[in-house]
Amino acid sequence: MNAAVTMRAAILWRIASFGVAAGLVMLWQAIADARLVSPVFLPGPDRAWNALVRGVTDGDLVAKILGTVEHMAFGWLFASFVGIALGALIGSSPRVRPYIVPTLEFLRPLPVSALIPVFIAFFGLTQAMALSVIGFGAMWPMLLATVHGFAAVEPRLYEVARSLHLSRAAVIFKIGLPSASPDILAGMRLSVTVALILSVVCELLAGLDGLGHWILLSARTFRSADLFAGVILLGVIGYLTAVAVAWAERRLLVWRASGH
Amino acid sequence: MTAAARPAPAQAARPMITFQNTSIELGGKVIVENLNFTVRQGEFVCIIGASGCGKTTALRLAAGLYQPSQGAVTFDGKPMQAPRRDIAIIFQDYGKALLPWRTASGNVSLALEAAGVPKGKRVARITELLDKVGLPDHGKYPAEMSGGMQQRLQIARCLAQDPVALLMDEPFGALDAMTRQGLQDEVLSLVAASGATVLFVTHDLEEAIYLGDRVIGLLAHPGRIGIEVKVDLPRPRDQLTTREHPEFLRLRRELFDFIKFAES
Amino acid sequence: MPSAETWKGLALPVVLIVAGEIAGRMANLTDIDSLAPPSSILLAFIEAVRDGSVLTTTRDTLFTAFTGLAIGGAVGLLIGILLGVLPAADRLMEVSIESIRPIPSIAILPIVLIALGFGYRLEIAIISFACMWPLLILTRAAVRGVEPRLMEVSRALRLSPAARVFKIVIPAALPRIFVAFRLAAGIALIVSVTVEIAINPLGLGHALMVAQQALRPDLMLAYLVWLGIVGWGLNALLLLAQNRLFGRAASVEDVR
Repeated sequence: MNAAVTMRAAILWRIASFGVAAGLVMLWQAIADARLVSPVFLPGPDRAWNALVRGVTDGDLVAKILGTVEHMAFGWLFASFVGIALGALIGSSPRVRPYIVPTLEFLRPLPVSALIPVFIAFFGLTQAMALSVIGFGAMWPMLLATVHGFAAVEPRLYEVARSLHLSRAAVIFKIGLPSASPDILAGMRLSVTVALILSVVCELLAGLDGLGHWILLSARTFRSADLFAGVILLGVIGYLTAVAVAWAERRLLVWRASGH
Repeated sequence: MTAAARPAPAQAARPMITFQNTSIELGGKVIVENLNFTVRQGEFVCIIGASGCGKTTALRLAAGLYQPSQGAVTFDGKPMQAPRRDIAIIFQDYGKALLPWRTASGNVSLALEAAGVPKGKRVARITELLDKVGLPDHGKYPAEMSGGMQQRLQIARCLAQDPVALLMDEPFGALDAMTRQGLQDEVLSLVAASGATVLFVTHDLEEAIYLGDRVIGLLAHPGRIGIEVKVDLPRPRDQLTTREHPEFLRLRRELFDFIKFAES
Repeated sequence: MPSAETWKGLALPVVLIVAGEIAGRMANLTDIDSLAPPSSILLAFIEAVRDGSVLTTTRDTLFTAFTGLAIGGAVGLLIGILLGVLPAADRLMEVSIESIRPIPSIAILPIVLIALGFGYRLEIAIISFACMWPLLILTRAAVRGVEPRLMEVSRALRLSPAARVFKIVIPAALPRIFVAFRLAAGIALIVSVTVEIAINPLGLGHALMVAQQALRPDLMLAYLVWLGIVGWGLNALLLLAQNRLFGRAASVEDVR
């Protein structure tokens, strides 16, 4: 009885929340219509929506969306494989850690985008540059999180592994990886965000096919409706990827939720 | 008494766990010094002593988790250089010794996977073991279980190793009195059925007398044997009658005096 | 006498520097325009310090970062406290916040560019936007996480809402709020440099790009190393302040 009441209340709150959001959109529309801010800077939501539809049907907005998504996907895949593999090796070896972790921790606050000029020096303003930057940049949070996760494995479990004579591979996959998975997933959330940002910046700089390029062009030609459409789409991509990681977290970390 | 009574240890005289002049130094301090004792096949030996007397260290030496600085620890005649698959270690902090991301079945399965048991055969064995320790809910995660249930799960996983010896480090120390007594009897019946050799560390001297065939008391700083008594009480043990037995009370007084002496 | 741990930690950087120097000399890297040996990097850095460019660029980047942090942080803090104290407002604003939050701060760059043009204001505006969110989310969590017993005490003492916020909620949540500021400071630096690399002609990021375009890898890498030191130094300083001020109370939950 109580559960049904709380569920209904939750749904009502959600609807009210959507209502507030819709109200803000209408406020936006009102400001745009009243030309309180120049339409060059602030198009109304109606114009932004039209621009979006136009871009998808007439223009190459879909290609741009796919361009950014592809950049992100590559970065995230590379980051996941290399970051987790390297992180597992470094984190699970107490002999290697003291040599490598201090350097990693020193590099942690370094803005990843600062590597862009270095990669441009190597690859020029090309797709290769972008993929290198995104891959390397997205790998970083994953690497740090995985090292931390593996270093924090309960030592008692390693003793259990010794007692059972588990192989080294079994220790990494059956004990290390699951134990580190909360940290790895937290790192993945950050990694995906970094991939998005770096994709946009590289597209801006190198003129690559993607939403970054789209919004730059729109800004240069003062097409604010197109610009807003692009920004909104970037927000949608950010939102969807965050939801995807959250879903993965819920599925994989079932055991954390239980018993609390 | 009953069919579940074990044969008197003297009939199975083969030495299994042997400490020969064993000493170990950790962090610059001598933790245990010149330990000499033997646990024979099928025997249930308990080690008691005040906190910090080195009883856990002695157990870890028997497990092969530590190597002695001097002397030797052997199992069935062979030196213990590393943990053996057929010696099961039951840790006191059961929560940390279980995999929180696996269910009860999954945790027991780990031991079977390590031993290379094929997937098809695992299910039956897991069910058998979980039922044996009294855990009907195979799909629960450790976080969803009480302390007593988690410790039972650890015992089940250890039994999955088909151990010839059990090394137990204050396994019931963190549990309430009723759960503790229930588990004491369960361990006794499991051990009687399998004939395993047991080395059991505890700070509870009544528990040591109740469970053991022999009780060894350690003095502290450094750890060394201070007393060794034989427990001549009938098996199977019973929480009420055994604890009222005059021999139980006599041993209790003897060991109590020892503890007081050891702490002074 | 540094501990064994410190020596081990220094081993890798020392090896890399030495290897870089040897490789640089051998391959005659003065011909290549993408790398430079550590000695050249050091010389380039000293030169850049002498002619004042390190000072101006660092000042510019840090100025925009801190200003943006202050503005965005203040806004995020206020909204976070509000949403934390008024759960009804929090639930109503949920959809709106969750919709705007995922927009990467770099995406609003062109919008702000049209409005403000190049310069300090562009950067500060974007950094403010970026810093607002972590402060909002973490402050809200910190306020919600205030020991319920304290809230009961405040009701028993019949404190006014304002008094409750200022005398109980904020002091109780302060350690975690400071952690939020520390994390946001890191974000501020990152966004600042990113905006400079992307488009804004000031600061360390811009200096990096200019050095690259002028085919001066030694100068570029010098700025890169300097940026690493600045980032590390800033974080270390804030961590020190956090430990001094709050001790264990703040190391509750380090959001990564």
